Amino acid sequence: MAILEAQSLTKRFGPVQAVDGVSLTVGQGEITGLLGPNGAGKSTTLHMLLGLVTPDSGGVTMFGLDLQKHRTEVLSRVNFSASYLGLPGVLHVREVLNSFARLYGLRDPRARVAEVAELLEIGPLLKRRTSDLSSGQHTRVQLGKALLNDPELLILDEPTAALDPDAGERIRNLLVSVARETGTALLITSHNMREVERMCDTIHFLAAGRIVASGSAAELAAHFGVVDLEEVFLKVAREGVPA
Amino acid sequence: MTAIAFAPHSTQARRRRIAGVVYRDLAAMRRSPIRVFEILFWPVIELVVWGYVTLFLQANKVPFIVSMLLGAVLLWQVLHRASNEVSIGFLEDVWSRNLINLHVTPVTPGEYVTGLILFSLIKIAGGLAVMVTLAYVLYGFGLFSVGIGLIPFMAVLLVLGWALALVAISAVLRFGEGAQVIAWSLVFVLQPIAGVFYPVSVLPEPLQWLADAVPASHVFEGMRAVLGGAPVPWDTLALAAGLDVGYVAVALWLYTATLRHARSKGRLSRFGE
Repeated sequence: MAILEAQSLTKRFGPVQAVDGVSLTVGQGEITGLLGPNGAGKSTTLHMLLGLVTPDSGGVTMFGLDLQKHRTEVLSRVNFSASYLGLPGVLHVREVLNSFARLYGLRDPRARVAEVAELLEIGPLLKRRTSDLSSGQHTRVQLGKALLNDPELLILDEPTAALDPDAGERIRNLLVSVARETGTALLITSHNMREVERMCDTIHFLAAGRIVASGSAAELAAHFGVVDLEEVFLKVAREGVPA
Repeated sequence: MTAIAFAPHSTQARRRRIAGVVYRDLAAMRRSPIRVFEILFWPVIELVVWGYVTLFLQANKVPFIVSMLLGAVLLWQVLHRASNEVSIGFLEDVWSRNLINLHVTPVTPGEYVTGLILFSLIKIAGGLAVMVTLAYVLYGFGLFSVGIGLIPFMAVLLVLGWALALVAISAVLRFGEGAQVIAWSLVFVLQPIAGVFYPVSVLPEPLQWLADAVPASHVFEGMRAVLGGAPVPWDTLALAAGLDVGYVAVALWLYTATLRHARSKGRLSRFGE
């Protein structure tokens, strides 16, 4: 069952065609990767899927509902995390999570915060100010925020960018188990090709705002006549896309 | 893992989301002594300075009603704080790059602003309580001598302040962080024509016409009349309330339009960078 359907999304910022006719579908429990070089349109696409950017044309449907018309219902079932976002620095982690649990309309915010803290092993951080966290800890707290509402679709913009290899590995395993056990669909962007190969069922490769290839990591490698996703990336980034 | 939530459009969910905004701001205030200090600092400074100016004028036999100046200081603080607290609440989300996090939650723009307004009420009430006490202790002025009119006077100023805050927020959404100076200064644009410390009649005629269109000018004129012994001018207050409705309608339209524009131009995304 499709949780997310984006149809022919386009977005132009002045002279720049940021996104050009992107269509994609994400099914329940599916892990989908959105790859591409810097400026390919990944973040703009994600932001259109979240309603932060209005597409010039095309539309987004989630859970069978039009995002523009059913924003509150849709966003209560989705969550988002990005390494570049901040959190109110003066607050303790527990307070940040408690406030977001309320913003998602949860019945028992404190209990849910305790659950998420245990899941992400951030219990010892709960009494620390978010401004005092390392970037890796900050990423884990952002992910905690993103899991608070038990989302059916989790959109992650470079989720492990600031994590050391060990923490990154643990987060990857956690995210995969969340997807497999709860049926949460994941849509992620990443510049870590090994991560994408290991996690994603389907990968969409973006270049100059367009999806230039889609498939599993093996299918993409075969399509471009290379051995792995890293080489696919380099080939597209350096040589452009064959017409 | 279970996260049981209220139905997104239920009253409980709306209340919970608004409470989330208030909870966040209350927690931030609790964690930051500077924020508590700020509630008291400027109001007290203004009260002390203007209070002693009043005493000086009295000592030099300048014909003057002490209570009018002190009443003006106190009511001006209501307008000033109502405007600034809401805009600053929004700016804190901009400064902490938290605005995107908020806009991907189910919180509606209306719920977000309602939360900011409720929190501003808490801060205004705290600051005003201190000022009223100080005005009484230092100068023997009881704000409640304004009588029942005090409630509509304050209500008109609060609503006007919130409308100005929405305009300031809209400016930041439209022009980016550089426009935050508007959040601090917008309310002061009204000060010269609102007749805060002097009657509107001393203004040049064109400015008097402008003053008629400012709800605050009717409040300050009304306050002076009441402290001078006249009854509460309910008809003028009704006019001010009507003007308030117009200001709020324009501010809400502006806020909605700039939010739509920010989404269309990708400006909302840039608040996360």
